[in-house]
Amino acid sequence: MSIALRDKLMLMVAVLLAAVYLFPLYWMYVTALKTGSAMFASPPSFWPSDPQWSIYGSVWESRNVGRYLWNSFVIASGAVSLIVILGTGCAYVLARYRNAWVDVGLFLILMLQVLPASLMITPIFVGFSQLGLLDYPRVAVILAIAAKSMPFFVVLVRAAFMSVPMELEEAALVDGNSRFGAFFHIVLPLARNGILVSAILIFMQAFGEFVYSKSMIQAIEYQPASVGLNSFMGPNTNEWNNIMAYAAMYVTPILAIFVLLQRRIVSGLTSGALK
Amino acid sequence: MTLHQIELSGVNKYYGAYHALRDIDLKIRKGSFVALVGPSGCGKSTLLRSLAGLESISAGDLVIAGTRMNGVPPRKRDLAMVFQSYALYPHMTVEENLTYSLRMRGVGKEEARRKAEEVATTTGLSALLGRYPRELSGGQRQRVAMSRAIIRNPKAFLFDEPLSNLDAALRVHMRKEIRALHDRLGATSVYVTHDQVEAMTMADHVVVMRQGVIEQQGAPLELYDRPANQFVAGFIGSPAMNFVPAQVGADGRSVVLDLGTPHTVALAKSLEAGRVLIVGIRPEHLQLAGEADAGLRLPVGSVESTGAATYVTTATQPELVVVLNSRVSIRPGETLPLHLDPAHLHLFDRETQIRLA
Repeated sequence: MSIALRDKLMLMVAVLLAAVYLFPLYWMYVTALKTGSAMFASPPSFWPSDPQWSIYGSVWESRNVGRYLWNSFVIASGAVSLIVILGTGCAYVLARYRNAWVDVGLFLILMLQVLPASLMITPIFVGFSQLGLLDYPRVAVILAIAAKSMPFFVVLVRAAFMSVPMELEEAALVDGNSRFGAFFHIVLPLARNGILVSAILIFMQAFGEFVYSKSMIQAIEYQPASVGLNSFMGPNTNEWNNIMAYAAMYVTPILAIFVLLQRRIVSGLTSGALK
Repeated sequence: MTLHQIELSGVNKYYGAYHALRDIDLKIRKGSFVALVGPSGCGKSTLLRSLAGLESISAGDLVIAGTRMNGVPPRKRDLAMVFQSYALYPHMTVEENLTYSLRMRGVGKEEARRKAEEVATTTGLSALLGRYPRELSGGQRQRVAMSRAIIRNPKAFLFDEPLSNLDAALRVHMRKEIRALHDRLGATSVYVTHDQVEAMTMADHVVVMRQGVIEQQGAPLELYDRPANQFVAGFIGSPAMNFVPAQVGADGRSVVLDLGTPHTVALAKSLEAGRVLIVGIRPEHLQLAGEADAGLRLPVGSVESTGAATYVTTATQPELVVVLNSRVSIRPGETLPLHLDPAHLHLFDRETQIRLA
């Protein structure tokens, strides 16, 4: 088989896989625009004949989507801020000091990554309830998400710090800076991309978080969009177009961030490889 | 004030159970150029980093310009260091790299810029001040690293193998340039290298280290002419000194070299008869002799000529390397008549490997 033919074949496979992968997303956008009868038509049509653009306005109003998105935003930003402030220092220490205890710490951190949220929620719920934290449900969820996503952040940012040569810091020390000064002047700017990318990934994760929010936030005015979407769907739901419109409004901002920053995100994830 | 810019006495350094520096005593005169040289892992870099404050010493005293510096953080030691990898700040321009230490010391913007331009002029970097390190060649980066060190007037310069990343021609050139810079600034420099040629050509004072111990220190030619032990003798000089097991003859005035077959050569002074030794002979001290006055006749193993010199390896056990500064037509298998001045023999005890006085 010639090289050109093989390349064409590989490209076709890639396009096919991408199509399969992206189909649900496409179906979401298309269904949101369909009328009630078009939605249930058999065989289904892949393109809305009479797109209902007004659905976005009416769903936004009736379901109070603005408030849900705002809550998601508050929770995600809070969790990311907490993680960045606490996790950066942690990752730096784990990157710079090498001994048996650090290895044990790193192992435990990776272990934490493995535990699923649905397992963790019961002890967290009981603990938070005894501390009275459930009276501030969004704070409680921020803490829980921060605890869950911290390991992921620490592991990624540690790699970013390790790609900054120790000698640069030493040069800064000899040049007259303190340990702290060298960290903020030299190491932090050089690891900035890695930290930024990790923070964005965590933000997107936290923006879609469901288990903790669903369990800990009873009051509807504090619930994030993920819980709102869930409460939209009951056992007898048939307003799929409204649900899809809601989902589209929820997902599009995240997609936009990812598309805009994807070059940076990919390069940040592999930045450890180059000097 | 003391004459010595840096004084180390009884310095020891442990990494856990590993004893990296053992009882280091070293006095570095103000304005001198000192080279720390030795094979990798000998502790020379650890010693330099201890001077800089990047490593703490476990025992002993470190005095810089009359002040005890044990435990003082690097920024308060007022030393400048050039790293092997140059350690230029990648996110700063050349000018920002140069002025970083000045800004850390609260020098004003205008003043810092003026100094950067001044230094850049002397090191030929004027046109590159706005560039980033990644846009420079290896040699240019090296210059930036040097300039960053000389922009302030530190108490001493520390060099950690600064030339090892350059190609051979540039290395020879930068050797001279660094030495010239040192002389012009009247600075005190400590220079770490594993290359004994660098140490010999650049330094006033060479410190040879092995396994955390200073084996010998002194002027370069002193080390070359009177190595204190077999290690220093073999480390200093290229091609390396020949070592031959030997025994003092019955008369005490000659020594029998064991080159597979015994060869007797005269000694400059008398020694205890029958004593076993190692005899060191520098390759250039074996010179071609006429048939009549040849003290040593050795079979030729291989001949290599560089044009300027001829390297002959003898077919003996152990092999001897002979450097002849003339073009000679010798072929392997022939016998080479050689002359050897007894004053040029280096005698070492076979057990302790220490030089016999």
